[in-house]
Amino acid sequence: VAGELIGDILRLTVLAGLGTAGILAILIWKKNLAMRVTFLRLVIQAVAFAAIFYMYTYSALIPMLYELIVLFAITIVLGRYFCGWLCPFALIMDIESLVRRALKIRYRIIPDRLNKALHKSRYLILLAFLLIPVLLWFLDPQELLISPLVALRLAGHYSAYSILLDPLITLIVPWTGPITVAGINLSYPYVQNIIAYTGSEVGQYLAISFVAITLFGAFFIRRAWCRFCPTGISLAAVSQIRGLRVYVDKNEEKCTKCGVCKRVCPVQVTEVYEQKGGKILTSQCMVCARCVEMCPYEDALRIKLGKKTVFRSRNWLKPSNDE
Amino acid sequence: MRKKDMTKNVEKKFLPEISRKEMDELKNTVKAASLKIIADNIERMKKADPHRPEAMKYFDNIANLFGQRQEEIQAEKEKGKKVIGYMCLFAPTELITAADAIPVRVNSGWYDTSKLGDRVVPVEVCPVIRSTIGAKMIELSPFLEQSDALISVLTCDGMTKLSEILADTKTIWGMNIPRVKDSTQSLRFWNDEIKHMKNQIETFTGNKITRKNLKHSIEISHRATKVFRRLQELRKGNPVIMGRDAMLVNQTYSWDDKQRWTEKAEALCDELEKRAANKDWVVSPDTPRVMVTGTPMFWPDNWKLPTLVEEGNPQGIIVADEQCSGERILNDPIGIDEWSMDDMLNAMSERYLMASTCPCFTSKDGNEDRINWLTTKVKDWKVQGVVYYVVRGCMLYAMEYARVKKALDKINVPVYYLDTEYTREDVGQMKTRIEAFLEMLNARIDL
Repeated sequence: VAGELIGDILRLTVLAGLGTAGILAILIWKKNLAMRVTFLRLVIQAVAFAAIFYMYTYSALIPMLYELIVLFAITIVLGRYFCGWLCPFALIMDIESLVRRALKIRYRIIPDRLNKALHKSRYLILLAFLLIPVLLWFLDPQELLISPLVALRLAGHYSAYSILLDPLITLIVPWTGPITVAGINLSYPYVQNIIAYTGSEVGQYLAISFVAITLFGAFFIRRAWCRFCPTGISLAAVSQIRGLRVYVDKNEEKCTKCGVCKRVCPVQVTEVYEQKGGKILTSQCMVCARCVEMCPYEDALRIKLGKKTVFRSRNWLKPSNDE
Repeated sequence: MRKKDMTKNVEKKFLPEISRKEMDELKNTVKAASLKIIADNIERMKKADPHRPEAMKYFDNIANLFGQRQEEIQAEKEKGKKVIGYMCLFAPTELITAADAIPVRVNSGWYDTSKLGDRVVPVEVCPVIRSTIGAKMIELSPFLEQSDALISVLTCDGMTKLSEILADTKTIWGMNIPRVKDSTQSLRFWNDEIKHMKNQIETFTGNKITRKNLKHSIEISHRATKVFRRLQELRKGNPVIMGRDAMLVNQTYSWDDKQRWTEKAEALCDELEKRAANKDWVVSPDTPRVMVTGTPMFWPDNWKLPTLVEEGNPQGIIVADEQCSGERILNDPIGIDEWSMDDMLNAMSERYLMASTCPCFTSKDGNEDRINWLTTKVKDWKVQGVVYYVVRGCMLYAMEYARVKKALDKINVPVYYLDTEYTREDVGQMKTRIEAFLEMLNARIDL
């Protein structure tokens, strides 16, 4: 009963929170041109977070294969929209960034070359992630109940979610999570997998260090995990299919190369700055639209879907009211 | 660098010793002539536009270099505020205002003093430099005299040596600007320079530049840029303001109080908007629309080109300029992502270095940004002809002409190379040249 009550309270809190966030977003939309999309994005992230939380907690589990198909379908049209606007893990990181902003601590960047190297070796990273269960199985075969090959076929060990969908795991999970507080099972992306694949003893320590590293990393480096994330990498691979796909369009003549787009990008995409104009299609981009939002030159950057302009840069010159 | 004791007779390395009497004599003559020229320029601007906006009165007043603004700065100085002058636009004025000091631009536009400058540097040197030296020799420029320290950004050769020459009597802080602007190492270097400048300003003024102060002063600049852009938007349509008026408004920003300037410019834009709604054009809408680019044109003396264009027969109207004495002052805002000290400094260094279209830069594609920006201006402001204005000795602008010409030829916009000097003697000859160009533009429009 207590668990249900807490669940109800949580649901109400989430709803109230979303409502306030929505109102806040509208206010900022009106007042602060330079933060508009960012706040809209945060609200959509929060909505997605709540939806995914609800989907896992209160409704029947949707087979993960379908989820993957939906994600891939979104990606073919909208690029890595999921990463930028829907991913619950990203919301955790973005909230950390907001906390950091509020504390006036500066962010760090990882060197551009390292970032590029990480991006270029994305298939290797993905392979490494997929191989981790196999390797661990060889090290400690007793701990695994199901063969790693099954895990590779997108079926995790304890849960139905495996590496490719792990960022979807929200903080509260319906199954027996690693931590239980007052009848609520808490989890964190990848933690279940880590524990499952390495056995509970070692796994617990590994899981704690993973949580610590990602939380710490995302506090100082914007979207730190996104540079390694297997989901993101697989989506990046899918987004290489170039049909009808959202892209950033740069008008070279209007650009003065002031470098704002490069600096504000949370995943340090440099193509928008470096490319000489035209279609900018990089699978590193998560369509968060921050660069377009911050570009001070009217129409220099646009986000386009097919021939239609979805969002364009404009004169955002209004001092911030967000502090 | 230590502040020099002004009372002590420091040995001057460059400037000749002039007796106080001679100096005062020269100063008074030039000042009297200059006052007359300021009044005359304003008079002509008034005459050009019978319905001149009311708000221009304020700018006419501020344009008097020896008037209200000088007294204000003097009063502030007596209260203990420091005045920090700068020559090139790369000086981070936000840092100066954040440290509660007054930023003023000290480049000189006096023709007469350029002759005096000839005593120190050869006549081949850019007249802006010579004139500034001359103004220093006779202590003419009020803002140069009032500034307690000068930020000199070493952009062109002239500026580099000018800073040495001015160091005879002033505290000079040189800022070394990288010439290749689109590389990470340049940005890092420039960022260090900005940080160093911040420390220097802090030590000099004794005021710490806090995050709040800096944020506040960046917001002031943002507001100013916002108004500036509003004015620019208005100039895109049929002419509602004389080009000279707009140029003067832009230029006064570099010595006026930023907040007050913003308010007044806002009022001007309100008036102009009304004017546009009433279709009360300042000149006939089919007057050739001219853009000026090239060497900066400093108030008060070096105003002959805009005057000739807008008073010529046939008449032209200046709808845009691409000069560091004009639109470049306010064109680019500082794009702040997060309002932390670090991000603000990064954003400032990017804005000052990378967004600039000064010809002192080169990059992977040469100074392509300037070409692109000129093309955009031509297209957006529907410019029908470009006057490429160069004063003799301004190498960087002169050498970039060929590329600009080719780029503008491609979009079929005539460009006219006009070279001149800091002198009034060639006004007649210039008039003929400009009128021929305007005639040609008119013929093109009729076609």
